[in-house]
Amino acid sequence: MRKSRYVILLLSLVILQAAVLGQETDHYYNVDTEKKVRGTIQMIVMEPRYKDSSPFLIVILEERKTKEMFNVEISPVRFFSQDFHKGEELEVVGSIYSLDGQKNIIARQIRYRGEIFMLRDKHGFPAWRGGEMTQKKKRKGKRF
Amino acid sequence: MKGRNFLLFFYLPFLGILIIFFVLSSLNRAYIKNKTENLVKEQLQAAAEILKINISHFLRENYSVAEIFDSYSGKENIYYIALLDEDKNVLGWSSRFEGYLPLSLHTVEGEGSWIIDSPAGKIFNFFSPFSPDEGKKCYLYIGYSLENLQEMIAYSRRNFFLIFGLIFVIGVILFLGFYQLQRSYLGKKEEAEVEKAEKERYREISAFTSGVGHEIKNPLNSLSLLFELLHNKVPEELQDDVALGKEEIHKISRIIDQFSTSLKPIKLNKERCSLAEMVSNVKESLSREYDISEVEIRYSESSSVYLEADKGLMSQAFLNLLRNSLDASERGLISIHAQQKKKAVQVRIEDSGRGIPEEDQERIFEPFFSTKKKGMGVGLYLTKKIIEAHEGKIEVRSQKGQGTVFVIHIPGG
Repeated sequence: MRKSRYVILLLSLVILQAAVLGQETDHYYNVDTEKKVRGTIQMIVMEPRYKDSSPFLIVILEERKTKEMFNVEISPVRFFSQDFHKGEELEVVGSIYSLDGQKNIIARQIRYRGEIFMLRDKHGFPAWRGGEMTQKKKRKGKRF
Repeated sequence: MKGRNFLLFFYLPFLGILIIFFVLSSLNRAYIKNKTENLVKEQLQAAAEILKINISHFLRENYSVAEIFDSYSGKENIYYIALLDEDKNVLGWSSRFEGYLPLSLHTVEGEGSWIIDSPAGKIFNFFSPFSPDEGKKCYLYIGYSLENLQEMIAYSRRNFFLIFGLIFVIGVILFLGFYQLQRSYLGKKEEAEVEKAEKERYREISAFTSGVGHEIKNPLNSLSLLFELLHNKVPEELQDDVALGKEEIHKISRIIDQFSTSLKPIKLNKERCSLAEMVSNVKESLSREYDISEVEIRYSESSSVYLEADKGLMSQAFLNLLRNSLDASERGLISIHAQQKKKAVQVRIEDSGRGIPEEDQERIFEPFFSTKKKGMGVGLYLTKKIIEAHEGKIEVRSQKGQGTVFVIHIPGG
């Protein structure tokens, strides 16, 4: 299971590398474009996202209703300890931007397996640069 | 002033001063903080203006925005910087933290500055328009770290609380010390007052009793003389009765003398005297009074002991103590041992007599307390008075049936 995941990761890395290398103009946490997206995990990849930063965990998410695909930027790989699995549901609150027709989300908060993970603060300050990630407990009857 | 009032008298002003200090110091710190923040704000705005000139210059020289911001990326105090076009679209940006550019165009109008909190500390945000070229308008957005200012404020706050705490603790300790001193002073004062009142009462009683004694003794002397005359004139069969009456009058007279002696304040007439000689004289006088054939009175001393004392009174004290020992011991040994101990003389008078019950030991030095049939309870009281008049002290250790030890400490020697 873990092996196949890494194979997929490697392939995805090659495909998407060209598109995301470097610090793109719109690629910042824009609080004005914050949106909530729910969908199913399709793929997990690791990519360099920011200059002088370690690779990031990227989840390719298919939106539940519109079936639109989103590249969800989670956090540096070393920071996020949870395992994502294809087909599982994920709810993301984050800043949306488009790049070459592809929709991207910089995640601020994700809900996965009933747990909420705060990855950035309300202004977009990354949790991995200022203490530990906030993890809220499961809420009764709020699973999706 | 009572203890509680004293505490309030000192503590309330102290607490008042402490509160005033706290309020004034807090106001002062708030004022300095405000002024410093304004100063920093002005300085940062001035720095931003210079930055705008530099950026304008670079733009005119056809440098790309990325190249320009690269040159500022190493600056420690700049957390993020962004250049926006006339329509407020981000042309380029640089941030020390991944994707962090907390600019909301919904809240920012044409120009402004504000401070936001972040896990990296407070950040001063400055958003301002400028014209790199004529007819072209851009916006510069910059975030400066206020970490140093915060450190300074935290340092000031820490020092303030440290000083405040120190003053509080020192004040509390100091005033508790004052309070204890005052309590001790009040206690001693009260004791002294009680003692003074007691002495006054004692003096009055003494004067009254001496007067009564004197008034009684005059008719007693006359009565004694009358009985003397009667003794020679009455028939022979009544002579014994008259003699008995005369003896009773003498007894009353002796009692009055003892009363008067015990109530008189002691006046010392000190002289250098040998303790061995004093005890020897006392022994001689006791031999006339008691049958001491079966009792051995043994005196010993570690070295020759001399006292600076009133010879007559001190002899009286030893006489009383030895009388007490003889009354308690029908036979056996009464030992008197004297030794020089530092700057005092210690004398132990030890008998192997009946001993004193524990409940009586505290009372034996009280006036008119006696367990003897014939005693008046004045002897040991007088002894204690004499020893104390010499600034000494007397202790008793005894166990019923195992004898008694009197220990006397007299300074000097």
